[in-house]
Amino acid sequence: MQRRTFTTLLGAAALPTFSIVRAQSLTDKPSVIRIGFPNAGTGGRPVPTGNFPASADQLGEIAQEFKADGIRLEWKYYAGAGPALNEAYANGLLDFAFGHGDLPLIVGRATGLKHKIILSSGRFGPTYFVVPSGSNAKTVADLKGKKIATFKGTAGQTQMIRFLRRAGLEEKDFRVISLNSDDTKAALATGDIDGTAGVVTPFDLEARGIARTLVSTDDPAITTPGTVWVGETFEQSYPQIVQRLVTRLVKVAEWGTHAENRDKQFNLWARSGTDPYSNYKTDWGKVTDLRTRINPLLDDYYHAALQRAIGEIKEFKLIRKDVSLDGWIESKYLDTALKELKLENHWPQFDAKGVPKSKAA
Amino acid sequence: MPQIIDRTNGRDWRGAALPLAVLAVWWVVTTLGWVNTRLIVPPAGVLKTAATVLTQADFYRGVLASLVRDLSGFAIGAIAGIAVGALMGVSRWSNRVIGPTFHTLRQISLFAWLPLLSSWLDTGDRSKIVFIALSAFYPVVLGAFEGVRGVTRAQAEVARVYVFTRRQTLLRLILPAAAPQILTGLRLGLIYAWIATIGSEFLLANYGDGLGNIVFKGRANFNIELIIVGMLVIGLIGYGFNRLADLFEARSLRWRKA
Amino acid sequence: MSLTADVPEGLPRDRSAPAQRSDRQAALWGFAAAGARLLLIVAAGLVLPALLFTLWWTATERHWVPEQILPAPALVWQSLAELWHSGELQSHLEISAARVSWSLLIGGSAGLLLGLAMGLSKTAKAYLYPTFDVVSQFPVLGWIPLLIIFVGIDEPLKVSAISLAVVVPVAVNTLHGIANVPRSLFEVARVHRFSLPQVIWRVVLPAAGPSLFTALRQGVMQAWLTLVFVELLASSEGIGYLMVWGRQLMQMDLVVVGMVVIGIVGVLIELVLGTLEARLQRWRPAAY
Repeated sequence: MQRRTFTTLLGAAALPTFSIVRAQSLTDKPSVIRIGFPNAGTGGRPVPTGNFPASADQLGEIAQEFKADGIRLEWKYYAGAGPALNEAYANGLLDFAFGHGDLPLIVGRATGLKHKIILSSGRFGPTYFVVPSGSNAKTVADLKGKKIATFKGTAGQTQMIRFLRRAGLEEKDFRVISLNSDDTKAALATGDIDGTAGVVTPFDLEARGIARTLVSTDDPAITTPGTVWVGETFEQSYPQIVQRLVTRLVKVAEWGTHAENRDKQFNLWARSGTDPYSNYKTDWGKVTDLRTRINPLLDDYYHAALQRAIGEIKEFKLIRKDVSLDGWIESKYLDTALKELKLENHWPQFDAKGVPKSKAA
Repeated sequence: MPQIIDRTNGRDWRGAALPLAVLAVWWVVTTLGWVNTRLIVPPAGVLKTAATVLTQADFYRGVLASLVRDLSGFAIGAIAGIAVGALMGVSRWSNRVIGPTFHTLRQISLFAWLPLLSSWLDTGDRSKIVFIALSAFYPVVLGAFEGVRGVTRAQAEVARVYVFTRRQTLLRLILPAAAPQILTGLRLGLIYAWIATIGSEFLLANYGDGLGNIVFKGRANFNIELIIVGMLVIGLIGYGFNRLADLFEARSLRWRKA
Repeated sequence: MSLTADVPEGLPRDRSAPAQRSDRQAALWGFAAAGARLLLIVAAGLVLPALLFTLWWTATERHWVPEQILPAPALVWQSLAELWHSGELQSHLEISAARVSWSLLIGGSAGLLLGLAMGLSKTAKAYLYPTFDVVSQFPVLGWIPLLIIFVGIDEPLKVSAISLAVVVPVAVNTLHGIANVPRSLFEVARVHRFSLPQVIWRVVLPAAGPSLFTALRQGVMQAWLTLVFVELLASSEGIGYLMVWGRQLMQMDLVVVGMVVIGIVGVLIELVLGTLEARLQRWRPAAY
C-alpha cells in the first residue's frame, strides 16, 4: 500500500515529460502555442518588457496572427527569469522563449535542453553598476569584499562578472547574493547591499535618492544579444507555424525601428512596472537609430557574441560541459521573413566586433 | 527565594500590562519622532492600513487561497500519516522496513525539500501542496505510531476474545485507543502545515497568490504597515489553529472520561 | 539451565520438548537464530532505501524525468566529492553551523531565562505569560519580513531570525519542566534558605532535566529549520545558498548535495543529543 503511494508520487513527477511527447502530434496545426518570457513585471505582474517580442505580445500581434486558425496562445511570464524558464521548458511546458539572455540560454543547452535559435531579440545598450546613494565608492574596486547583488543564472550575472573583470576582480572577491530586481531595489534603498550590476536601470532610483550609478558603459563586449528560440520538437512538427511567428515578430521589430513609434514602445514597456517611461527615455537617450538596438538579425555579430559568451561562461565555471554553436542557430526562418517583408536591407549587418558593415537604407 | 503566594483574586489584569505598555511606548516614540518613522511606523498608520486592507476582496482572496492550500496539504499529509504511522505501529516488520528510511528522511530539514519539489512540480499550487503535505506527514506519522504502539496487550486480548475482524480491530479498538497521541500528532502537523504554507509562499513569492505573497511583496514597496498587518494575520491564524485543535481535542476525548 | 526452567511448578510440562537436547546446542541455536533475526531486521531496513535508490537510478537512466530536473546519483556523488575536496562544502557548513550555534546560544539563554522567570515567579508569569502564550503561537517565519526591514539581509537577520525560533520552544519546555517539579523540592529549598542561583542549580535543573533536554532538542530542530529557510531566502554563503546557486544554474545535483548534507547533519545532531540525553538520564538518579 505504501509503495504504491510512493511510486504514484514519483510517477506524478514523471508525468510532465510524457506531456511533451503527447502534445505535439503530427497534424498540421498545434492546438496551443506556449510562449514564455524570462521576465515578469514588478511583483510578478504578467507583463513583459524591454524588447520587440514584448511589444509584439502587448500589441496583440501574435494573437492576431493565429486567431483565424483557432490556435490558442498561452503566455507565461517567469518572475524567476531565465532559470525558471529553463526549468519550465525542461518540464515540457513551453514551445517558445522570447528574449532569453546569454547565461540561461547557454546553461540550458549545456544541461541538454534542445532548442533552436531563430531570432535575436535585441542587442547593445548601456549597462550600469549601481550603488546605494550613501556609498563612498568611486570605482568597482573600492567595493572589494563587500556585498553585491545580481540575479544568479541570468544574463545580469554575466554582465556583472564582466564588470568585475574590468576592475581585475572576480565574483569570489565579493559576497554575492542572488536577488531579483524588486528585491535588489529594496536592498539598495536600505543599504543592505553595496552594489549591483545588470539588474536595475538606475535613473528612477537616482531621482528618488535611493541609488546612484557608479559606472556605466556602452561597451558591446559587456552585453550579449537576447535570443528568441523554439523547442526542437515543436520546430520539427510545425515549421510553418514557426515561420509565421517569426515573420510577425520581424514585422513588429520593423515597426519598432520607426522613430515615431519610439515613445509608444516605451509606454508599452513601462506597463510592466519595473521601469517607468523616463528610464527607457534616458537609457535609450543616445540611440539615434533605433535599428541598432531593435535588431532581430542573426548576423556575424550575433554569432561572435554568442561564441564569446560560451567561452566566458565556461571560464567563469558556470557550466560544466562544452557547448557548441553547431546546429543551434537556425536562420532560415529569419531569412524567409526578411525576404517576404522585403526588409533584407532594412537592418545594418554588424561584424564580429559590433561595428556596422555597411550603411543600410 | 521567590514568593509563591498568589495575590490575585478574580481576573488577573496584569497580563494585559505588557502589551499595553509596548503599545504605549510605540505610540509615544513615533509621535515624538524619536525614531525613523519610515522604519518604525506609527500604530495609527498600521490601523489605517489594516482598515483598508481588511476591506479589500483581494486580501481575503489571498488569505483564502493560502488556507485552502494549507488545509488540502494538511489533509493529504494527515491521512497518509495516520495510515503509515498506524501500519508501522501495528506491524513490527512494517516498522522495520519503513522506519529507518522514514526517520532518516525526517532529518532532512523541511525547507531543504522545497527547491527540488518546486523544480519537479512547477512553482504553483502543486509543489506547495505536496510540500505542505510532507510537513504535516512527519509529525502525524510519529503520533499515530506512538499511539498505535501504545495499545496494550490487554486491549489486544479484548479484540481477540470478541473475535474482531482486522478491520474491526483497527476501527473499534486501535484507533480510538491511540486517539490522544494521534490528535497530538495532528495538532503538530497542523502547526507545521501552516509554517510550510507561509514559508513556501515567501520563498516562491512571485508565484501564485496567498497571504504570504501579499506580505512578502509588501517588502518591495516598503509598505511596512502592510507587513505588520500581514504578520499579525499570519500569527493569528496560527494561534487560531491551535485553539481549534484544543477544542477538538477536548471534545473528542471527552468520551474517554466516561 | 533447562528450557523448562521458567515454567511454574504446578503446570504440566510440555511433553513434546526433546529432553535429550544438550544445553550448549540449545544456546548455539539460540545465538544463530538471534543472529539471523538481526540480519533480517537490518536487511528489512535496507529494503526501502534500496528500492528508492533503484527507482532514482532507473529514472535517470531511462530519462523518465528530464535530467535537468533530476540529477543522476553518480553526478550527485561526484559533486559531493568535488565540493568536499575543494573545501567549499566545509566552508559553507562552517558558516551555517556558526549561525546556528550563535543563535542557540542567544536564543537558548533568552528562552531559558524567560522560562525560569515565568516558572519561578508568579508575578513574572502573570505579566509575561499571557502575551508569551499568544505570541509564541505565531509562526516565527511571519516575523521575517519585518526583521528584514529592520536588520537587513545579512548575518544579523540570520542570527536574529534563528534566535527567535529557538526562544519559543526553549521557554515553553523550561516552563513545563519547572511546572512538573514537585512542590516539596521547593519547600526543601526554602527550608535550607537557598539563594536563587542555588535553587536553579540544585533543584530546577536536575528535576526539570528531561524537559530542559526536550527544550534543547526542539530548539535545535527549530534552529535548523529556520536556518535553511533564511539561507534559501537571502544569503551569500551557507548550505542553503549552495542550493540556490545550484537551482539557478540548473545544477540540480548541487541541490541534492545540499539536501544530503543537511540530512547527515540532522542525523549527527540526533545521535549526539541522544547519547547526551542517555548519559544525563544515568546521572540523574545519582543527583538524588
